[in-house]
Amino acid sequence: MAKSVETLEQSIKDVPKAKKLESKKTWLSWGLLAPVLFFFILMSVLPTVWMFGLAFYDYTLTSAQNPRFVGFDNFRDFLANRALAGAVSRTLIFVLSAVILQTILGILIGVLFWKNDKMPGRRLALTLLFTPMVVTPIATSLFWKFILDPTLGVLNFFVSTFGFDRIDTLSSTTLAFPTLVFVDTWMWTPFMTLMTLAALGSVPKAELEAARVDRLPLTRLIRTVIWPHAKFILGLGLLLRIIDAFKTMDLAYVMTGGGPGDRTELIAVSLYRFAFKSFKLGYSSAVSVFLLFVAIALTAIYLYVLNARKKAEE
Amino acid sequence: MYDIRLENVTKEFDNFTAVDDITFTIPKSSVTVLLGPSGCGKTTLMRMIAGLETPTRGRIFFGEHDVTDVPTRRRNIGMVFQYPVIYRGTSVRKNLELPLLSEKLSKDELDKRVDEVAEILDLTSVLKRRVEELDNGTRQKIAVGREVARQPRIILFDEPITNIDLTSKMELKRSMKELFSRLKQTIVYVTHDQTEAMTLADQIALMQDGVITQSDSPKVIYENPNSQFAGWFLGNPGMNFVPSEFVSVAGTKITSPLFTQTIDLGSKATSVDILGVRAEGISVSISQVAGACAATVTRKSIGAGGQYLLDLTVGGLLVKARVSHSIGREAKDTVWTSIASENITFFDSSGKALSSEIKVK
Repeated sequence: MAKSVETLEQSIKDVPKAKKLESKKTWLSWGLLAPVLFFFILMSVLPTVWMFGLAFYDYTLTSAQNPRFVGFDNFRDFLANRALAGAVSRTLIFVLSAVILQTILGILIGVLFWKNDKMPGRRLALTLLFTPMVVTPIATSLFWKFILDPTLGVLNFFVSTFGFDRIDTLSSTTLAFPTLVFVDTWMWTPFMTLMTLAALGSVPKAELEAARVDRLPLTRLIRTVIWPHAKFILGLGLLLRIIDAFKTMDLAYVMTGGGPGDRTELIAVSLYRFAFKSFKLGYSSAVSVFLLFVAIALTAIYLYVLNARKKAEE
Repeated sequence: MYDIRLENVTKEFDNFTAVDDITFTIPKSSVTVLLGPSGCGKTTLMRMIAGLETPTRGRIFFGEHDVTDVPTRRRNIGMVFQYPVIYRGTSVRKNLELPLLSEKLSKDELDKRVDEVAEILDLTSVLKRRVEELDNGTRQKIAVGREVARQPRIILFDEPITNIDLTSKMELKRSMKELFSRLKQTIVYVTHDQTEAMTLADQIALMQDGVITQSDSPKVIYENPNSQFAGWFLGNPGMNFVPSEFVSVAGTKITSPLFTQTIDLGSKATSVDILGVRAEGISVSISQVAGACAATVTRKSIGAGGQYLLDLTVGGLLVKARVSHSIGREAKDTVWTSIASENITFFDSSGKALSSEIKVK
């Protein structure tokens, strides 16, 4: 009996020691994280907080005045601004049409590559296919601008060679916007192809083979074998693409500068103008906050749907 | 029902021959187990029967039909995979029904078939559950049930109980034994587990390095292995081998430090190189008896059946002997062993058994 009490005491003595070790370990992990955290806070958290703050101030870099607190005035102005409302709805149409096109094309090309895993030159074809995605958007925008140029562009060279009238797509009120959607699709379809390939790759081989043995019709195969595995990666790709498309700036800014008129004026282009042409930092912060909330809302909806599905499955 | 005939079937991957010119008939309405170590080509052979792989050379027939170029979908086979395949987002009942939907059965017939297999596999209580909720063991039962309910003429099993936990393994093995005794289909079952093979097979086709080395009922293969490989692979522990340095051949007579008798093999004696004896073929007694050799016990372990497994050194060679519970319990450092001549299998220098041609006198 005495001995067990002793060991009990001993073990109680051991407790703080163990805790000390534990806290040392915690310090080590925090220590290792510190440099990353430092830069993350410096480059990401602080500017965001700063932006939130600025959104409530009237602050223009070019004026001599100090920032002035204006409450929700910036937001009120922004919501009353017809041009901005137009830019937002234009952006939504841009996101919808471009992402839908990219998804459909991406899935089709992905399935094609997936079905033909023994085709010769598959690897080379895939590499080439992914180049548009790897090239800097500015470069892409520039060379498409050159291709479409009404006098020097290679497109119009062919158009005129075949005896048609030259077309100036980027200055055309009807064609400029679809052209932007087209170039964006050209640039980002490979991404959806990649996501499709990854999604299809996540379907276990045995399940596909079992479906062949069990003679499942195509619709069943898609519904009960492919979709349950593929949906997460595909959904993630879609989400990333939507958020990214929402922020599209370089493409429109370089190719059309938002024109002709306001036909291709996406919200991010307006934002850029406010911030770096007019230097209205307070106002553009308010717009940014709005955009941030749109992105958060989209992510939240996606996560909610994903979780709801998961729950339904459980 | 169909038998499955393989004619000179060969499968080569880049620079590796997985299946090497196999000509073999898998009899109809019985259970054939393809047994062999990993990489012996058994799964590849099965996948070719299923049409999931195409043979590099050779033909495959189901009965009279050449199916070599028939796609999997049109072969009318069932297959259970090593990885438990379930069709997600549906109930267990729906899973069992899915392959049946293309058969255009009446509702009554459909229900009857599903209920029947559910009953045998003990799935009745979970029929309404969603498949995602169930563990791997139950998932594999569903997979087995799904293939059986469809009643194809041929059902293939690719190591179906390898990936599930021990309890479910025993349970599934039992239900499959029950199923196999009722089914009239031609069943091919691939495994590397000899116990599974012994339990389930009507006949075992033993495979090594892409060829079938022996095929017969489990009993015949166990008692008359035609090669050292068969003797070693079937049996737990595998057969004891007495290498040539422990075997003396003089004229027609064979002697060895492991036993006291002289065995007369007639003219065949000269080809004998290695002797084989199963663990239970060694008789062990606690006290000295006439015609026995002294053996040292180096290790003792008890088996699940209560018998003991003894590691013995006899005449300088380490062998394993399986003995009854009472002998095992009493065995001390030294025991007395004898090996009856009929318990000995004779192999030539290439490892081929000579026993079928040899009569022990």
